[in-house]
Amino acid sequence: MPQHIKRLIGVFAVFILFFLVLQQVLKPDSFGELGHFRAKAIYENSLRPMHYTVADSCTKCHKDIRIDKDLGFHIKLKCEVCHGPALAHSLYAGNFKDKELPDSLTLYKPGERKDCAICHELNAARIKIQFDTLNTTMVHQIDVLTHHPFDPKTKVPFKCIECHNPHQP
Amino acid sequence: MEDHIQNLYEVLSKVEGYVYPNEIELNWSILIVLYPYITGLVAGAFILASLERIFKIRILKPTYGIALLTAFSFMLVATMPLVSHLGKPLRAYEIMITPHSSSAMAIFGFVYLWYLMVVLFLEIWFDYRRDMVIWANESTGIKRFLYKALSLWTTDISPKAVALDDKIGYIVTVIGVPSAFLLHGYVGFIFGSIKANPWWSTVLMPVIFLFSAMVSGIALVMLVYIVLSKIRKQLLDMDCLDTIAKYLFYILLIDFALEGLDQIHRIYVAEESFEALHKLVFGKLFYSLFIFQGLIGTIIPILTLGTLQFYKPKPQIRKVIYMILPLLVLMGIFFMRWNVVIGGQLFSKSFYGYTSFKTSMIGLEGYLMAAVWLIIPFLILAFLLWLLPPWKKIETNHD
Ligand code: HEC
Ligand code: HEC
Ligand code: HEC
Ligand code: HEC
Repeated sequence: MPQHIKRLIGVFAVFILFFLVLQQVLKPDSFGELGHFRAKAIYENSLRPMHYTVADSCTKCHKDIRIDKDLGFHIKLKCEVCHGPALAHSLYAGNFKDKELPDSLTLYKPGERKDCAICHELNAARIKIQFDTLNTTMVHQIDVLTHHPFDPKTKVPFKCIECHNPHQP
Repeated sequence: MEDHIQNLYEVLSKVEGYVYPNEIELNWSILIVLYPYITGLVAGAFILASLERIFKIRILKPTYGIALLTAFSFMLVATMPLVSHLGKPLRAYEIMITPHSSSAMAIFGFVYLWYLMVVLFLEIWFDYRRDMVIWANESTGIKRFLYKALSLWTTDISPKAVALDDKIGYIVTVIGVPSAFLLHGYVGFIFGSIKANPWWSTVLMPVIFLFSAMVSGIALVMLVYIVLSKIRKQLLDMDCLDTIAKYLFYILLIDFALEGLDQIHRIYVAEESFEALHKLVFGKLFYSLFIFQGLIGTIIPILTLGTLQFYKPKPQIRKVIYMILPLLVLMGIFFMRWNVVIGGQLFSKSFYGYTSFKTSMIGLEGYLMAAVWLIIPFLILAFLLWLLPPWKKIETNHD
């Protein structure tokens, strides 16, 4: 065999060997313990910060709203669906009774027309339900552009929450 | 309000109809468009080179070396768009360290490595070994060292050794052609095998990808050849260009026919996804599919190239045509990838709604990053052309 072919084969052999060694060296340490993945990944994920709390945790401090809501059409909606993740809030807001909440603890208050439209806007792709059913598993749809858009006299645009109580629509 | 909620509100305003929550944001962005695009350029350029080598189309000689080096420099970057798309790019190597046989992407790592090392590297090495030995003796300094190292400090350039190199190079090319098919067919397979997505899931996908790859690769080599000749102030070999254009024409025709077949099949079968796709094609994909990919990228080149087969204007005019056409074709194929990758994610798998695509200029997944991955291969190519200039090689006839 000519010299250059030998050298080439040598180079490839070294390369493959190097790869096999790397494969052993770089394999993450907990790999394969539980399956074809890093067993430690489970633990690492459990360390990630949580954002959401349990649905009932708001009741402790906002009992009135909870009761309001449970009497109305929005009974099925969890508070965090509208207000966003509130774990930190429900843990620490108690320290700020009758005071201004710090920025990190304030929650979003979805009072604009577009906020309600996320669920209520007319949508051909969603199943329409009749005007007066009490079926709360589906969402009543309105045309946000024509449903009381502004005050007929003053022409000032209406927000939805000026007529509907968001907690008890 | 927390960032991701703000983000969600923004994104929701772009959604039409009903989409599942995990379909709102497109996970496969512009970088994933680049991945099949660049891989296709590699496969196409290599196949053009093998036309000369295996099928002995001697007239393509001036582009043989350029095509190989182009394929090699694009191959080196082919996976980079994927890597920079990852959330944790530094873990990318793990796909090779702990591959799972059920992962199409993990196997791609090995298909890629095979093609890079066994096909492209070996073919170039055997093709250039004698010249590198000679150049090593002629040059000095770092360049001399590079040639020595690249030729593995071998010195044997006897006719026997060179004949052997040529023979092995030929065998490598013969293996290389099916490997190039495999490489790019595999990229098509990655999309075609996603059965939940009616826009992707078709057995024709690997074949369509393959032919569009050839189209784009040939166009790229044509362009590189013309630009290079301009830079080196060399006369263009018009016969060679005419032949490349002829092949481009044939393959473009086949590619067009295959894509048409795919659409006809889809229209005739008219599965439950059809209406959603119909709306997609005439809505969000209208410009990128009909105008950019179809009209500018396919029909106009086909008509022009077709005319050139019967009627040959003056070389001066043909030169200009051969400058512009590859650009159109390259753009068309880019939008073909775009329509596949982005289009496949724009409609909801419930078939009741659509989302939209938005990418920023900067950031790891922005347009600038994509531009970077398109420019770097050209820099590598420039370096390779400086190091291994095909025009300075000793004339060999690959027989
Ligand atoms: C530990 C008691 C406590 C808990 C638990 C709690 N909150 Fe609060 N919340 C407060 C206090 C205190 C305020 C600020 C004063 C006020 O407006 O009553 C507040 C204010 C708010 C506000 C108005 C914020 C603003 O910027 O005006 C919203 C909305 C709210 N809470 C939602 C929730 C939700 C949703 C939950 C359940 C996930 C919850 N809270 C749990 C104590 C609590
Ligand atoms: C449909 C969405 C929605 C849901 C569900 C909802 N809220 Fe609200 N909430 C709002 C809106 C909108 C406002 C702002 C009202 C305003 O600005 O007058 C608000 C305001 C508040 C406030 C501030 C008090 C005030 O009057 O400004 C508190 C506290 C609050 N919500 C707590 C809750 C709790 C606790 C729950 C769950 C039991 C809940 N919310 C569920 C939409 C919602
Ligand atoms: C997360 C989705 C969601 C959001 C956001 C939401 N709603 Fe609702 N809404 C519902 C659901 C679910 C029902 C119960 C089904 C029904 O009756 O339509 C409901 C019921 C209602 C109803 C009673 C409809 C009826 O049956 O007469 C009104 C009025 C209403 N919502 C107003 C609002 C307003 C105003 C807002 C904005 C502050 C809002 N909703 C935001 C989901 C939502
Ligand atoms: C001017 C007051 C007013 C405003 C502003 C207003 N609504 Fe209403 N809404 C009503 C009244 C009154 C009804 C009941 C009769 C009707 O349908 O008009 C109603 C009914 C509804 C219903 C039940 C429709 C059904 O089919 O049962 C929904 C849902 C609703 N509104 C949502 C909204 C949303 C969302 C907004 C903001 C985009 C909004 N409303 C703004 C007065 C208002």
